[in-house]
Amino acid sequence: MSDWRRIDIDAFDPDCRLTANDLIPPYERQVTLQELQPKMEQLRTLSSGGDTRGAVQLITQDPPYSADDTTKNQYFQVVLETLSQVRQADIINIVKELNTEQQIVLVKYLYKGMSLPEGQKQGGILLAWFEKLTQSSGVTPIVHYLSDRRTV
Amino acid sequence: MDKSVLSVYKLVKAPIYSHCLSQDKSLLAITCENNCLIYRLGGRHPQLVATLENHDKTVTAVDISVHGRIVTCSQDRNAYVWEPLSDGSYRPTLVLLRINRAATCVSWAPNGYKFAVGSSARIIAVCYYEQENNWWVSKHIKKPIKSTVNCLSWHENGVLLASGGTDGFMRIFSGFIKGLDSKETMANSPWGSKFPFGSLIKEQYQGGAYIHDVQWRSNIEKVAYVAHDGTLDVLDYQGNLQSVNAPDGLPYRALLWINDHEILCAGYNCHPVMFSEASQGWKFARDYDKIAAANVLEKTATGSSTSSSQFGSTQDEDNDENPTFGISALRKFKELDLKGKVSLEQKESAHENAIVSLIPYAESNGQITQVSSCGLDGKVVLYNI
Amino acid sequence: MSQSLRPYLTAVRHSLEAALTLSNFSSQEVERHNRPEIEVPIQSAELLLQPMHISRNENEQVLIEPSVNSVRVNIMVKQADEIEQILVHKFTRFLEQRAEAFYILRRTPIKGFSISFLITNKHTESMKTGKLIDFIIEFMEEVDKEISEMKLFLNARARFVAEAYLGEFVY
Repeated sequence: MSDWRRIDIDAFDPDCRLTANDLIPPYERQVTLQELQPKMEQLRTLSSGGDTRGAVQLITQDPPYSADDTTKNQYFQVVLETLSQVRQADIINIVKELNTEQQIVLVKYLYKGMSLPEGQKQGGILLAWFEKLTQSSGVTPIVHYLSDRRTV
Repeated sequence: MDKSVLSVYKLVKAPIYSHCLSQDKSLLAITCENNCLIYRLGGRHPQLVATLENHDKTVTAVDISVHGRIVTCSQDRNAYVWEPLSDGSYRPTLVLLRINRAATCVSWAPNGYKFAVGSSARIIAVCYYEQENNWWVSKHIKKPIKSTVNCLSWHENGVLLASGGTDGFMRIFSGFIKGLDSKETMANSPWGSKFPFGSLIKEQYQGGAYIHDVQWRSNIEKVAYVAHDGTLDVLDYQGNLQSVNAPDGLPYRALLWINDHEILCAGYNCHPVMFSEASQGWKFARDYDKIAAANVLEKTATGSSTSSSQFGSTQDEDNDENPTFGISALRKFKELDLKGKVSLEQKESAHENAIVSLIPYAESNGQITQVSSCGLDGKVVLYNI
Repeated sequence: MSQSLRPYLTAVRHSLEAALTLSNFSSQEVERHNRPEIEVPIQSAELLLQPMHISRNENEQVLIEPSVNSVRVNIMVKQADEIEQILVHKFTRFLEQRAEAFYILRRTPIKGFSISFLITNKHTESMKTGKLIDFIIEFMEEVDKEISEMKLFLNARARFVAEAYLGEFVY
């Protein structure tokens, strides 16, 4: 207790400030990796079958917000694979078919991808997605991303 | 400049965080750094008539009551009520706010006998005058506010108080003060049956996005708010929420009900935008004073926005070239270097920085026809709606 | 402009546009203080917004950290070899020592990045947001050019020095 002058006394007051955990909206239950497996399989078949449009539609619907970080990362690997398999010329059309909600999810994946070393290797592809996304709907999805507390 | 702009007053060199007009629209009060400036309108340019300088930190908000009393609040944790005297000066009275952080916003109740102050101390202080002590005293609303209160709005009945803040909640509280308000005013309210002071009537979570402004439309019992995720949301007493995205994406800082079915918003896009209620819900209606023809991209945006989707912009834009991209600053710099001046003449909207508050300037038949706005560029602009 | 630089800068531009929506915000923790919330170590989480990471490849990245009243922009400048590392270090250090002349420059970069900018609500209130973004984009365009120019110049100089020095030994 020699360092008592430096103790952050406010931290002992539970109502004092919101922590990062307080901000995460309460989820009813956590999605586990097992439950995501079928979706990941479906993604792989879709993208290997050439139906990239369907695959992107699938990943932007119902993202695993409630999963823990390792699950999210594993799931993200599949997402990244899917995104990088889409041909450059198709991107703009696929992006245009997404609704606003889906575009917000997509932008979350793009920012997440660029923050991970795996995604940084694919920087060019993710940036191409990003460019097409902002071309079709401006900064709207980014503004939503900024204050959205649900992460992918 | 667009023809919807009536007049532009460049008043100060500092940002204006809040402004308001007296009941007869003859006086304009603005915040300017640590002071509040009072201007007389009417001439070609507003005349500075008084400077209210008791605060020693940035003044965050100002409001004028129906009786002409001015209340100012500031980041120095204080609020003052300024009583107008016959010689045109003002006598300040300190308000006992009992808060220990900055006061962020203030709003007079419609009857002018009490006002509410929002603060960074996670408290809303409802203040009223106590005759026996000759003092403005306050009662606190604390729970369940978790972060700074950004905005407040009184219902016409003077009891319901809507607030929004950085915790991403729009909340409606009861600001019922015994002796000031009568229970009869609330008799047929659809929002509930009992309204003890400080009780939470309604709560709406906005996904964690900061609420920047909130406003009641009392006669149809709806409340509208704008959030940092770039949306305008309208809530009614049954809990139905309608949300609409800003067409150009950037969040709004202020909103104003024009009539029962139209809302004007303004914010970081520097020009007002009208939203209207149709059978399918709220949607974007039109822009005012938008910079036109800045580049081709903007042109297509305004052209297609009326017909197609709510994000009118760049629908049929397929080419990869963005003409103003990146090089504009460089080109300007080089021109400045070579010729000593900038030839690139860009039309600018009346406001050059974000608009932070909107208030009605003229009304007819329950419809607001002229709106006054203030911005971070130190300007007050009047718009014809 | 090279093919992949443009999407990179567009992404940074749009992200900055969205992030530079700041308001004057007085501290919730300390009385009568008004400080850039992004720089405060212990504080309320709701005041920070989601960070935005934009990367062209492993060596060229931008991290934008937004908060309610301030935005920190961290730039990692391309450093292909040791000479470039030294050049970038010296160059950014030169700028940082003159930080007050740049207004938005941070005196030290965040760990892992070459240079950091700190934009607060004071800056967006006194300067046009569009110009601020232009400045950062232009900086990113120019810094690469500057570094490769310096490298060429350095190599030419080194060659000249080596020739002059070794010339002594020629009989």
